[in-house]
Amino acid sequence: MIKGRGRGAKGLRGRGMDFFLEIRQVNKIFRTGRDVEVVALRNINLAIDRGEFVVLSGPSGSGKTTLLNIIGGLDLAGSGTVTLDELGITGLEEKQLSRIRRDHIGFVFQAYNLLPVLTARENIEYVMKLQKRTQEECDQRVNEIALKLSIETLLAKIPNQLSGGQQQRVAVARAVASKPKLILADEPTANLDSKSAGDLMDMMQRLNEDEGVTVIFSSHDPMVISKARRSVILKDGEIVANDLSG
Amino acid sequence: MYRLIIRIAWASLNRRRTRSVLVVLMIAFSLWGLLFMEGIYDGMTEQMIGNAIRSGSGHLTLSVKGYRLEKDINMLIGDVAALDRFLAGDPRVQTFIKRLRQDGLIATAHYSRGASIYGVDLEAEKIHGRLDEYLEAGEYDFGRKKRGAILGVRLAEKLKVGVGRKVIISAQDAENEIASAALRVTGIIKTNNMALDETAVFVADQKARDLLRVPAGVSQVCVMVKNEEDINGLQAELRQRFPELEILRWDEIYPALMQGRVMMEGFNLVTSLLVFGVAGLGIFGIMLVSVLERLREFGIMMAIGTGFSRICYIILLESFFLGCAGCLAGGLLGGATLYYFYVHGLDLTVFSEGLDVFGMDTITYAIIRPSYFINAVFAVALATFCSVLLPLRILKKARPVEAICKG
Repeated sequence: MIKGRGRGAKGLRGRGMDFFLEIRQVNKIFRTGRDVEVVALRNINLAIDRGEFVVLSGPSGSGKTTLLNIIGGLDLAGSGTVTLDELGITGLEEKQLSRIRRDHIGFVFQAYNLLPVLTARENIEYVMKLQKRTQEECDQRVNEIALKLSIETLLAKIPNQLSGGQQQRVAVARAVASKPKLILADEPTANLDSKSAGDLMDMMQRLNEDEGVTVIFSSHDPMVISKARRSVILKDGEIVANDLSG
Repeated sequence: MYRLIIRIAWASLNRRRTRSVLVVLMIAFSLWGLLFMEGIYDGMTEQMIGNAIRSGSGHLTLSVKGYRLEKDINMLIGDVAALDRFLAGDPRVQTFIKRLRQDGLIATAHYSRGASIYGVDLEAEKIHGRLDEYLEAGEYDFGRKKRGAILGVRLAEKLKVGVGRKVIISAQDAENEIASAALRVTGIIKTNNMALDETAVFVADQKARDLLRVPAGVSQVCVMVKNEEDINGLQAELRQRFPELEILRWDEIYPALMQGRVMMEGFNLVTSLLVFGVAGLGIFGIMLVSVLERLREFGIMMAIGTGFSRICYIILLESFFLGCAGCLAGGLLGGATLYYFYVHGLDLTVFSEGLDVFGMDTITYAIIRPSYFINAVFAVALATFCSVLLPLRILKKARPVEAICKG
């Protein structure tokens, strides 16, 4: 259970529910001009169990990224609640959200977003260093993950010495290294060729099975979507389908 | 973690090497300019003060009460022996000299001028204020028969006399009679102490006594102390022991010089503020661009759980590294420049006419004080710290997702 304060911290178990992630009545409106409003999410309700491998799919502008950002505490919901492992994260301060992201959530971004001045090894151990793990623990975990993701030979390189696929594998390694409960991946394969995309998804699937980590990723690539065991389809900010496909 | 923060800060600076070097140069040149200006300006002021102290007042000047208002030859310090004993035995005193002084007239066949006639012991003056170093022409001597006179440079110019020429000095003696003597100019001195350069006629002590019919006593005693911090203490003690005497510090005799020093300190402060204001704006601009350019990077760091304080450390460390490098380079450059001008002096002969008017030397020797470096480092630290406040504020206001999108 994630420790912390905030609305909904009591969780859903007391009401007979047992979901790892519960999203209730979430709305998000972006104001782009004085009177211009864009509804990004409309009445989103979603419950995801621990260890699930879920894809958010839908056309461009359907709200996939916004939903992932709200789940990860990177952005605030306009209304509604998000409860992660019994902790309501809606309304928490940035400092608390930052701590939750550090300790419980791993992020994989579309553009890899590795820290350009650090080597692959330093990027992978970065979050663990934030968690004040010892260097020995970091080394052990980095080696373990590097072996799983076949990136042992890349550890000493800095991001601009790596290909897109290699960078994304390092980004996945960074996301899972600190053993988070949830991995959020926003179009992780968008910049990769189909082979690299397939390999990456296989790798994430393996991690999901081996490490028991819940994975939610967004994509509009049918090949990638087919790898997920559950598919949530969004359109114009609303969930239009929520199926178990695997 | 702190090692990683240091590594990120250092690597970020290294990644934008040209920009980093530019900031370091900006700080270094500002610092260099500041140190140079402070050292030279203080050198000018201290030389002016030093000239006045060495050639004129000493750190303390003793005379009988009322003498300064009415310089009468009969207003003399009578018990010179008691004063001699006290000053010779006081460990704070470095040297002291005794002068007999009377205002009078100096004339050639064509010109005449008002003059201050000083009866002095040249050897004592040499030890006391290195008067010999001010010699512009001729010899530091009154000749075998002590019939020579050493004139201030301006006075010599006005009388149009040179070394070897004859002059007549006349003054009222102790018996209120007009006395005169013919002397030959043996030397001309330029002290940059305007009062002396324009009116002083130095003659041998005994010659002055004979002329003015003063067998004993002196008009003034000038005291030089070993440590300037002892001036006030010695003044107080002398006042207590010799209540009949007026004992004044150099800054009480030359208040304009003291004001000049205070003005120069103010001028230095304003210049420092301007220099570091401009440098600070430069650093601010570069740091702002540097942060805005990396907004996405910082957004990612925040997204994966880096607290704002850690990002602050990174940015502050970057500016700290830049400030340190700039301080080191500027300090070394400024220190070396000051040392050069401390040894060789800055030759301002081209401005000699203007400088003469203000009683300044044409060659200015820089001063090096630890306070210059301490103040400069403090100013750099403040400028670099202030320059990152706005970028940090921008970053604090941005949510991770906004930072990533804006980047």
